[in-house]
Amino acid sequence: MFLQTVITGLSIGGIYALMAVGYSLVFSVLNFSNFAHGAVIMLGAYVGLALATKLNLGFGLVLAGSVAGAGIIAVLNEKLAYSSLRGRKAPSLYLMISAMGCAVFLENLVYATIGSRFYAFPEFFGRQVVTLWGSSVSLLDGGAFLFALLAIFGLHLFIRRTRTGIAIRAGVCDMTMCSLMGVDLNRLIAVVFLLAGGFAGVAGVFLGVKYLVYPTMGWVTNKAYIAAVIGGLGSLPGALAGGLILGMVETFVSTYVSSVLRDVFSFTLLIAFLVWRPNGLMGIDSEDKV
Amino acid sequence: MKALLVEDLHVHYGTIHAVQGVSFPVEEGEIVSIVGSNGAGKSTIMWTLAGVVPPSGGRVAIKGSPMPRKPHEVVALGLALVPERRRLFSALTVRENLLMGAYRRAGGDEIEAAMERCFELFPILRERLSQRSGTLSGGEQQMLAISRALMSGPEILLLDEPTLGLAPILVEAVMETVARIRDEGVTVLMVEQNATQALEISDRGYILEAGVFVKSGPGPDLARDPEIRRAYLGG
Ligand SMILES: Nc1ncnc2c1ncn2[C@@H]1O[C@H](COP(=O)(O)OP(=O)(O)OP(=O)(O)O)[C@@H](O)[C@H]1O
Ligand SMILES: [Mg+2]
Repeated sequence: MFLQTVITGLSIGGIYALMAVGYSLVFSVLNFSNFAHGAVIMLGAYVGLALATKLNLGFGLVLAGSVAGAGIIAVLNEKLAYSSLRGRKAPSLYLMISAMGCAVFLENLVYATIGSRFYAFPEFFGRQVVTLWGSSVSLLDGGAFLFALLAIFGLHLFIRRTRTGIAIRAGVCDMTMCSLMGVDLNRLIAVVFLLAGGFAGVAGVFLGVKYLVYPTMGWVTNKAYIAAVIGGLGSLPGALAGGLILGMVETFVSTYVSSVLRDVFSFTLLIAFLVWRPNGLMGIDSEDKV
Repeated sequence: MKALLVEDLHVHYGTIHAVQGVSFPVEEGEIVSIVGSNGAGKSTIMWTLAGVVPPSGGRVAIKGSPMPRKPHEVVALGLALVPERRRLFSALTVRENLLMGAYRRAGGDEIEAAMERCFELFPILRERLSQRSGTLSGGEQQMLAISRALMSGPEILLLDEPTLGLAPILVEAVMETVARIRDEGVTVLMVEQNATQALEISDRGYILEAGVFVKSGPGPDLARDPEIRRAYLGG
């Protein structure tokens, strides 16, 4: 039971971390809360769903298709809704309001076209379990956790080591100077949204496979915001740690206390961090973003 | 050919008319200095030439072609700016700052060679490569800021107060470096508080007052002009 709870907690935490990473990345570069991130996750899940049910693709291709689809959607979202505001140097509050508008718009677009039905992914993995030290552990949960870990580690390497990654971090420090190094900021920001969207696609598929696909499923990104704050906004290792901690806390509260109290605990944790440690676990100082 | 040609340049910040019609050429291989009191509009001219602040009137030509509107397009023409107060990427290491300077360069070899050239000018940077640039001393930060700009292999270098906050001995060293950079074929446009030293090494100097040039001439002549000494050079 205990081990099972740990694995479930890690897999949920892994999904939170995947969501938090994309949210955090956009936050650190453009300094606003991209509330449309949840809608992109939702659309990513629908893309995956269409590939799985209409084209009968296997899990790998569904995941890849959803990453590409959500990545492109995120880039379009930025080009259509944010870039003109950026161009006019609008305060970040405007970007945030625009993002909320996008979230509501996209959700209602799905309601109007696809409908409010709940869809389930086909059973890719059955309900396979392995027995570890006497408890049965779902393969899907274990796999989701490992995949999330690998993906975030990959992103970390990209940000640390590549030319574009270093440019993203430079942009976080000083956008103007970044462009004076010869960086086309519109292109750089498109890359950031492509990455954030790609991660949203992974999160969407994992959420859809674990639970269901429906228009408001993106609201679970509330948890990603909490995870990002716990870990330290703008920090990638922080987003991972925050997601895992939140996933564990929630699963343990649901299992051993009461599932009704789960969200009470999560939001208490959020408030506690905001009050006592607003920089989170890893956001040691504001200079260490991303 | 002229590296820079500025004609009747105007810049507004909202209703503030910061630059009110300045014109000047910078010939290839020259060092040109702009001197003026605080708020005269020196930095504004620099930011405008780099494509960051849009002009509200006039023309700027870089190497004969009209100035593009985005900073990264200006940089692509071979111009680099060392801005006032350095503006390093403080969370990035010294190496990463230098790599950003070389962002437009293609190959690794080319980048290594450009880095070696910076170490020749400022040997201390080699020892600081993996240190976060925000933790460098003021002088080291200035050396890094100049190096970062040189990493792109610019043909035109804009320096906005490169000696700000440096000890007199370092001011001397930076000026020597600027002269050396020019000798290697780079055109330099410079704004300086330590104006006497700057003017001494300049082919031409311009005195800027409230957004307009009030005097110009060969750098050393301006440096010796008693009236200018009294007004701008501290006696
Ligand atoms: N972003 C801005 N918004 C509004 N006004 C500005 C802005 N930047 C500069 N100014 C104004 O434009 C004028 C010129 O400023 P600028 O920074 O070019 O002066 P400067 O000659 O570089 O001065 P200093 O020697 O102090 O660096 C000043 O009056 C300044 O207040
Ligand atoms: Mg200035």
